Amino acid sequence: MANPDKLKLVKDLSHKAIAFSIARVPNSNRVYFGCSDFKVYEADVSASKFEPKDLYAHGSYVTGVALAGKALISGGYDGKLTWYDTDSKKVIRSEEAHSKWIRGVFASRDGKIVASIADDMVCRLWDAESGKPLRELRGHAEKTPHGFGSMLYAAAFSADGKYLATADKVAKIKVWEVATGKSVAEMEAPIMYTWDPVQRLHSIGGIRSLAFTPDGKTLAVGGTGKIGNIDHLEAKARIELFDWAAQKRLVEYTSDKYQGIVNHLEYAPDGSWLLGAGGANEGFFIFIDAAGKKTLRGEKVGMHVHDVASSENAETVIAAGHNKLAIYEMKG
Amino acid sequence: MGKHKTFCGSGDHAISRRGFLGTAAALGTAAFADMTQLNLLSNPALAGELKKQQKRVILLWLAGGASQVETWDPKPGAATGGPFRAIQTAMPGVHISELMPRMADRMKHTLVIRSLNTKNADHGGASKLMMRGRRDEANVKFPDLGAVVAREMGRADSKVPDYVTFYTQTEGRGMAPGDAGFLGSRYAPMELTTNNMPENIRKVDGISELDHQQRADLRDLLSKQFAQGRTSPTLGSQNEAYQRVRGLMSSEALFDITKESDKVRDMYGRGQFGEQTLIARRLIEAGVPFVRVARAWWDSHGQNFETHQEMVPELDQVMAALIDDLKDRGLLEHTLIITLAEFGRTPSINPSLGRDHFASAWSCSLTGTGVKPGVYGKSDATGNKVAEGEVDAAKLFATIYSALGINPHKNYYLGARPIPLVEPGTEPITEVLA
Repeated sequence: MANPDKLKLVKDLSHKAIAFSIARVPNSNRVYFGCSDFKVYEADVSASKFEPKDLYAHGSYVTGVALAGKALISGGYDGKLTWYDTDSKKVIRSEEAHSKWIRGVFASRDGKIVASIADDMVCRLWDAESGKPLRELRGHAEKTPHGFGSMLYAAAFSADGKYLATADKVAKIKVWEVATGKSVAEMEAPIMYTWDPVQRLHSIGGIRSLAFTPDGKTLAVGGTGKIGNIDHLEAKARIELFDWAAQKRLVEYTSDKYQGIVNHLEYAPDGSWLLGAGGANEGFFIFIDAAGKKTLRGEKVGMHVHDVASSENAETVIAAGHNKLAIYEMKG
Repeated sequence: MGKHKTFCGSGDHAISRRGFLGTAAALGTAAFADMTQLNLLSNPALAGELKKQQKRVILLWLAGGASQVETWDPKPGAATGGPFRAIQTAMPGVHISELMPRMADRMKHTLVIRSLNTKNADHGGASKLMMRGRRDEANVKFPDLGAVVAREMGRADSKVPDYVTFYTQTEGRGMAPGDAGFLGSRYAPMELTTNNMPENIRKVDGISELDHQQRADLRDLLSKQFAQGRTSPTLGSQNEAYQRVRGLMSSEALFDITKESDKVRDMYGRGQFGEQTLIARRLIEAGVPFVRVARAWWDSHGQNFETHQEMVPELDQVMAALIDDLKDRGLLEHTLIITLAEFGRTPSINPSLGRDHFASAWSCSLTGTGVKPGVYGKSDATGNKVAEGEVDAAKLFATIYSALGINPHKNYYLGARPIPLVEPGTEPITEVLA
């Protein structure tokens, strides 16, 4: 059983580019990750020598990779979604999926549906195997209240695949019924969006990560606090928990130690803790209890963490970030 | 008649200098006593002649330092290039960031300099340097570009301000104030920092126009008596400033963009930057030689790409609108639009996905009068160094002055000491001068 108290760094794996997204092949040490050099890589993180293999490229930063069975689906700031067959090791499909930057790609736990989110403020659902578009989820405003283009940063499926949550730059959250595409809940976490009308006349922040509890009842929302000097990510990392069915905020958690944005959230398999990972100039892991009241463990990570892929029992945590992958273990 | 037609710039309305002076005389001193009513220039001959005589400058000051990579000097494919694509412009072979599609279509009007090496990456020092073109000396405070243009292009008989600057945001404002240096308060800017309308220029309601005039006359009389037997540049400067007050008091309409059509306002955008730039156009159209519009704050140490996604499209819209508007009014060929900051941003991307201060290889643009459109200079493949045609602050200012028809080697005098306009030995980039 994974135990945050036992967390330790196993190894750092330097990489020439920024790794924005990572997916792990179940029950293995093989990972796929997308980078700032526009490429998608495959690597065995347990190998004695870290030698990522360059698989294919997008036209810009690769900000989402998701595994659905044998298919690897990647998305990037070029607006394209690419399907790669991990058996035949070939690109089998590429779609002009969005008119603006794709911010993430997510697979349902059963691997049947893939969601892509982008700055066109649309979440698109795709049949993971055929690549057929299933439906579009529209409802996030295209403009911020101050007239600038908004951004659709985060999404997460519930464990049973029935619901999908999405969240945007101005910190609006929506929960959708996957089968119908119907919006079933709306919430907001306004502290995570900072608009500075006096000093700098632009904005920063937004909700960057979402996760449902294993029972699907609570939705965790990650970002950063209200920022005084928006030149920097200088606010404390922030997590809020919602009873999404009641559209009610349960908890506002602010790290007492770590600054920056929470880019990734995931619950323990048994729901006993929540991991928030992210960073500013440096990175962090924050483990909090399920109630969101107590910090169980904080750990400085040697890079800004953009994404995390964990093993099935969460005893191995692979972080992807600024010019590095980092392997952690927390075997109870 | 619409304002476009008023300022159509057509050769049909051309008159000779002699004719212009005659027209002006016929209009009487009132015409020049108050240049603040745009419709006063509805006489096409007068408007046309003014256009020929007077060059103007609009400085779009990108305070905090915009990224050259996300604007004028993209590096697609380089590790430093960031996520944005480069797009082809109307100038064959020239690419700029995809965040500037409107400017890409208008590159035939614009000169981009991609080889600035200004050696100062500190906000305060760099702002002063890039506002003045040189560093102050121990006993000499140099005038900034606006003050020099005000001095060179302003007309003694004009009652509109010679130098107006908008800087509404608080960040960096104190580091880049308008400053006339040794030229004195006569050339100091009218600074707007709190809203788009000058404050305290309205006559107090309880004072009649006659009272106001009589007070001015009394002040003038006392001032003249005081000045007898005294010679002081400060005294003269002070008196000139008072003489201009009445003109400034009637210039309120110039700052009122509700007088513009919705179409024009939409073209510039309804944000602060767009609205202030539209006012800048109204001001230069009425004879103000220099207007700075500061758009703060670009200092994206964290989340550089998100920041530039917000701010560059706005810059693109505002620049494109300004170019189109000036062109439509026949003013572009008499106006220089300068897009400049205190420095650019590092090609390297920091862990917060930011770019930091960088003065070693950055870009600016000049659009309009006196320059040949295109690209001058080159940074290396990663953007870390100038590869060709290095330009420092002095050379940039010598080029700007030359484009405006001002001899950059001209001397001002501090007492008997000659003070050259630019650093001695500095030449303009002659290849880019039209």
